[in-house]
Amino acid sequence: MTLNAFYFLSFLAIMSAIMVVLSKNPVYSVLYLIITFFCIAGHYTLMNAQFLAIVHIIVYAGAIMVLFLYVIMLLNLNKESEPHKSNVLKFAATICAGLIMLVLIGSLKGTENMLQQQPAAADIGLVKTLGKVMFTEFLLPFEITSVLLLAAMVGAVMLGKPESR
Amino acid sequence: MNALFVITGLGIVSLLAEFGNLKRWLTAFVLVGLTAAVILAALDWNTTQRYFSDMLVFDNQALAFTALISISTILWFWLSVDYFATQTHRTDRTSLVIFAVVGSVIMASFNNMAMLFLGIEILSMSLYVLAGSRKDSLSSTEAAFKYFLMGSFATGFLLFGIALIYGATGSFHIHTIAQTIAANPAGLPTFFYAGVLLMLIGLAFKISAVPFHFWAPDVYSGSPTTVTAFMSTVVKVAAIGAFIRIFSSCFVAVESTWSLVLQVIMILTLVIPNITAVYQNNVKRMLAYSSVGHVGYILLAFVSSPTETGTIFYYLTTYSVSSLAAFSVLHLVEGNSEEITVDYFNGLFKKNSWLAVTITIALLSLAGIPPLAGFFGKYMVFAQAINHGYTSLVIVAVITSLIGVYYYFRIIIAMYFNESSAPSITLTASQKMLLFVLIALTFALGLFPDVIMTLFRA
Repeated sequence: MTLNAFYFLSFLAIMSAIMVVLSKNPVYSVLYLIITFFCIAGHYTLMNAQFLAIVHIIVYAGAIMVLFLYVIMLLNLNKESEPHKSNVLKFAATICAGLIMLVLIGSLKGTENMLQQQPAAADIGLVKTLGKVMFTEFLLPFEITSVLLLAAMVGAVMLGKPESR
Repeated sequence: MNALFVITGLGIVSLLAEFGNLKRWLTAFVLVGLTAAVILAALDWNTTQRYFSDMLVFDNQALAFTALISISTILWFWLSVDYFATQTHRTDRTSLVIFAVVGSVIMASFNNMAMLFLGIEILSMSLYVLAGSRKDSLSSTEAAFKYFLMGSFATGFLLFGIALIYGATGSFHIHTIAQTIAANPAGLPTFFYAGVLLMLIGLAFKISAVPFHFWAPDVYSGSPTTVTAFMSTVVKVAAIGAFIRIFSSCFVAVESTWSLVLQVIMILTLVIPNITAVYQNNVKRMLAYSSVGHVGYILLAFVSSPTETGTIFYYLTTYSVSSLAAFSVLHLVEGNSEEITVDYFNGLFKKNSWLAVTITIALLSLAGIPPLAGFFGKYMVFAQAINHGYTSLVIVAVITSLIGVYYYFRIIIAMYFNESSAPSITLTASQKMLLFVLIALTFALGLFPDVIMTLFRA
């Protein structure tokens, strides 16, 4: 059952990821990307990481996708305004992406013997476990994040505020 | 850690200064706070302390970088008084600069990949906004946008690398990772090494090493000159601090993975920016390329002996002081214009001998002419590299620094031998004082390099 679900989700994720790149209409691309994100969230659930799955759906499929759609609608993309990319550029991009894929596949090949070494605890993906780690060992990063958010907020206000009163 | 608390508090206080009439005292208050941070860092000297389950470790290296970052920021606040003269954005700008310093201090003292990431993000997030803080200028907006895109891209590489390393070792703590490497002499899974290289790429973006430097000239020349001064001193010190912290402690055991890659990056970083700088007519762009080129010398010191951080620290100190001096003169000469070419310096010696002498000393120090600080920085780097048998790399570095002398002298020749009808620039007492302090520091660091070098000898 789990294996079948895994194959189904993987197939769907890869197919819709390919469709993101291939579809002509940017809005369709975004919609396919949402399917990809949901499939990846399904993978997280299969790996016993429920909290990550929910966060993934809320943040990626929710917030970031809305932002994407919004930007695409504002840009008003269509075939005429699409910038022309030269073949050399396409070729170089393909080579680069292919090389990165090769490196990743090659480096992930040796992982089979690692899987048995560290059996995961059953409750590892639950919010309770995560909260315990976050408020004990990772307390400082958790608190320092507030500085990051504050800096981002001040920056946004500063860029948005008119110069002279 | 106390220094970090003080600086973080300063950032929040400077936001609150919007209330009432506290704005007038803000800069003075910030300077007092940063001085307190330097003193607190000095008081912790030789007491390696670990905080919050080893998230931050303030050892001597971290404390030295904290002090250098704080002192550079104090000098920077001094030179950029007019940047904070606007009524609307005074508190915002101050707090963003202070938050950038918070990020820098974290980058100098992290012991955990999560803290490294947060430090880099806090620093970058503040800088994206500061780069675009001249809102009526198109080039400033372009700089902010380019910086944001390239910075996010680099962070992606860094995060991917961190994730792979976590997958291979099961820990974010750099000491635990080092132990895991030591416990597996047969080698970790292959993707660990891919992770190390991805982190190398991500950090090379941040220290603007070639071929990941393409953002630097555009961002440096588009941003307001004071912000450029901040980027090429404080930010560069923090980025290099983070780089050597992780690669000299944790990944030094897998040196064979990255050493050759870093050597190629180093040679490119020495050759390409120094040659490109010759063709620049925009002085800010020239200094941007020269600042990329200086990363090459630091990488040379690092490649030759990753654990000897004293030389790198001394080089960074001399470089920061000379850069601050060069940028403070550049800022005064530039006035309100957007682009500053070499012609702006025509006949500067006859009009403002103070400015001309300061920037001459700063540029000679950057070029590495004795007895100035920059010469001893370069000398120690070369000596360290030759001691470890990297003579051929030193020859490349010497040739590129000779190219450096050529383009620095273009400005100097323009100042002393060309004529100009532009009016002279009036300096306030505070500006004269600043120039004097920077010249004095450039000479003092050159004459007494041991003051800094002994800090790193155990």
